[in-house]
Amino acid sequence: MTQPLAPYAPEPSADRETDAGGVSPRPEDVIAFPDGLPGFESCRRFVVVTYDDDQAFQCLQGLDAPGPAFLTIDPARALKRYRLILSPADRLRLDVHEEDALLWLAIVMVAPDGTKTVNLRAPIVINPRLMVGFQVMPHHSLYPIRHPLDL
Amino acid sequence: MLVFTRKRDEAIIIGDGIEIRVLRTGRDGVKLGVTAPPSVAVHRREIYDLIRAENASAAHHPGDLHQLITRLRSGTASSSE
Repeated sequence: MTQPLAPYAPEPSADRETDAGGVSPRPEDVIAFPDGLPGFESCRRFVVVTYDDDQAFQCLQGLDAPGPAFLTIDPARALKRYRLILSPADRLRLDVHEEDALLWLAIVMVAPDGTKTVNLRAPIVINPRLMVGFQVMPHHSLYPIRHPLDL
Repeated sequence: MLVFTRKRDEAIIIGDGIEIRVLRTGRDGVKLGVTAPPSVAVHRREIYDLIRAENASAAHHPGDLHQLITRLRSGTASSSE
């Protein structure tokens, strides 16, 4: 990979392997996705890359082959009053405690003409306390898989 | 593929702790009840496939995404990918 993403653009280091995504994260930044993501089931480790000069977007970077990278946004930033209730089973999968502040990411798709849509149907949820996440696929949802994004 | 004939209220079990039970049969469909541990995600196939296709469309190579974000910042969000 030619262009590692900030902030995981470390000095060359003998004791760090470069992962599939071309980044060399600190172990404490690695988020486990036990089921991968639909379509990328073999990718079980991700990092969230943030940008100092762009608060809206993040990159969800896969560390296992094929190392997919997703542009993401806080779904509440894409749609005010966005609210998704996790099922009891999903709460168990994340071991959600009362005090846990979950991290929500919605995947943004950019069409060839630059039009952006965001997947509010199946957002990604991460419990930072456990560094575990998955893509939520509610059985029923009022939110579309391609919500227009004007950012 | 294993094929079973099941009547109403009959079930199959898969591995340790997954049960699929026929709750009701009708002309238009079969109503199934799935019991599984919380670590096992259960989805309708067509929803899973829809989200899988959307993820595949939205995934980038890391270098491409870096360039895309650079373009988004500069306000020229047209893409050649």
